[in-house]
Amino acid sequence: MSDITYLPGKEPHPKEHRMIFKNVDRKGWNTKIKTYLNEGGYEMAKKALKMEPQEVINEVKASGLRGRGGAGFPTGIKWGFIPPNNTKPVYLICNADESEPGTFKDRYILHQDPHQLIEGMVISAYAVGAHVAYIYIREEFPEAAVTLEKSIADARKNGFLGKDIQGSGFDLEIYVHRGAAAYICGEETGLIESLEGKRPYPRIKPPYFPAAIGLYMAPTIVNNVESLCHVVHILRMGGDEYVKLGTPRNSGTRIVCVSGDVKKPGFFEIEVGKVTFEELLYDMCGGPKDGRKLKAVIPGGSSSKILRCNETFKIGRGDDAKEMTFWQLPLDFDTLAAAGSMAGSGGVIVMDDTRRMSWVLNNITHFYAHESCGQCTPCREGSTWMKKVSDRIEDGKATPNDVQVLEEIAYQIDGKTVCAFGEASAWPVEAMIDKFRDELVGETSDDNDTRSAERVAQEKFLSAVQ
Amino acid sequence: MSSKIEVPRPRSIDRSKLSYVRLHTPEKREAPKARLIDRHNVEYVQPKTGVLEKNVHSPVTPGVVHFPPFEVTPALEKAANKRIAQYPDDQRRSAVLPLLHEVQHRHGFISPESIEWVAKKLDIAAIKVVEVVTFYPGFRQKAPGKLHFRVCRTLSCAMGGSYELMAKLCELTGIDRGSADAHKDPISVSPCGNYSVEYAECLASCGTAPVCLVNDDFHEGVTPEKAEGLIAQYDS
Repeated sequence: MSDITYLPGKEPHPKEHRMIFKNVDRKGWNTKIKTYLNEGGYEMAKKALKMEPQEVINEVKASGLRGRGGAGFPTGIKWGFIPPNNTKPVYLICNADESEPGTFKDRYILHQDPHQLIEGMVISAYAVGAHVAYIYIREEFPEAAVTLEKSIADARKNGFLGKDIQGSGFDLEIYVHRGAAAYICGEETGLIESLEGKRPYPRIKPPYFPAAIGLYMAPTIVNNVESLCHVVHILRMGGDEYVKLGTPRNSGTRIVCVSGDVKKPGFFEIEVGKVTFEELLYDMCGGPKDGRKLKAVIPGGSSSKILRCNETFKIGRGDDAKEMTFWQLPLDFDTLAAAGSMAGSGGVIVMDDTRRMSWVLNNITHFYAHESCGQCTPCREGSTWMKKVSDRIEDGKATPNDVQVLEEIAYQIDGKTVCAFGEASAWPVEAMIDKFRDELVGETSDDNDTRSAERVAQEKFLSAVQ
Repeated sequence: MSSKIEVPRPRSIDRSKLSYVRLHTPEKREAPKARLIDRHNVEYVQPKTGVLEKNVHSPVTPGVVHFPPFEVTPALEKAANKRIAQYPDDQRRSAVLPLLHEVQHRHGFISPESIEWVAKKLDIAAIKVVEVVTFYPGFRQKAPGKLHFRVCRTLSCAMGGSYELMAKLCELTGIDRGSADAHKDPISVSPCGNYSVEYAECLASCGTAPVCLVNDDFHEGVTPEKAEGLIAQYDS
């Protein structure tokens, strides 16, 4: 594919492996269907429609594709969860509510290559037997919503959507549904509630596993934009060939988005597990800004646990365990999980030594306090409380005990909520305190204690009694 | 020794005498407030009781002059019907968000009248529309300015200088963000009504921080120095 040229300054790094982002920032590329068809577009949809749905599912299962939305759940297995005796209509939803801070991969697919997504959705809908599909797109992408609606209309004109697609007897309609700036809509059951026209309060699982009871109480498959695009390439390459990309159990490519304090932030499509943090941050992103040193990295969107750049980790179990420094860690799902964090949605946020961790913590807690949906008490009250305590720490008005309080609140949210937002809001705080406790405590002072001497004595007495 | 404990048998209830028992205690209503107009005339101001009056407050802002007041036009009806057709016939409620977007796009914000219209159109109770409007930050309850700036304040953009960008925008447009509250009142409108600002949570372009949305246009790499140029671009 040497004939592909990119816009000046936007050329991919040699270590990249462009599949999904092949057409992003490409010279002479536009969102018109003609451009996409010239490049062999919709051929895979035609191929899929000639196969049996189960064959398509088997290909995706063989590819080992793991969802790119954050949890890393195998896509093919998710598709297999639809009850076999189901009589209700099946729905396919594309989760384009990309709101995880640090992640900006879907923006480029939706704005520059919408037909790739539509083709992926046609194949996926055929595989799971859905005749209606929705693209839940976040409110902050108004242009993309217009582009998508136009692309869908074009695809219908060319016979890739609507009734009897390409003479296969398969019908599919795709609709665009705009969200309204709520982070919680990225949670799949919250998204479904939102699509039903309600507040996006996530549903409790079990019994509401979307593949069994989802949209309108019918089986529903919710997939990330990037995952759906990968399906096109899996069909092109074949599942057995696709699985060779990347490392075992972490197949394929994924888009890593780097932001923060590096010279060249941006997106990089890499083979999963083939690139280490050193290669990513120094070779691809140009290293830290002049005269600065890298301090900490959030590896998978702001909900993942922060990693210190001077840490060493023990990866693996038993005899296979080996010591790895932060820089040697490859970017894949399993290694990052073993290092105590997660690959999440691929949003890498880099901080250098000029950043105060209390300021970073404060920014993150403000985000989660604003975005908590308010359904579960630990999260609703806890996130606001964490915001208040971190406000105090950042202002330099906190006592050393406040850091302890913050940690206790975080551990009381973790695991006690309906959806994963509880963990998402608690993990960054837990990890930040765990790794930068000295720095945070250093910004507090005993002088800020406003309790009277009498009260201190009282509390001391009470704790002694207990 | 055995003693039998007398269990008092329940008295039979004469249901006809139960008329005074209220199963549902009525909501306590505020008494109308008296307001003296002059020596002889007193005006009674009825307290707000309806679900719309209680929950939707659309304070009039200087920006209101830029938006037509809510009215049901054929174009709006047509757009609404197109949206409703996207969902199964028995699931019209799904169209709440799309319909509210249609209203907000045309009229700048969601007014109580528009909520009533949406509820009627979808055949649901008004409260079901109100709960959506009050939840989502994407729906405004008051008119923004002619140019509405949404500055991303989340981590990557904050590191890139979005707090400074916001301060600069406020300085250039004469906006006082003193009373702004992320939850209850995120939008601040300039006295002239031409500009308004709001913090947004992650606009998903962290690599090109700081970023902002001006109405529906997206701008990346807007450092505080570029704020003036950004405003000038629209004013000309």
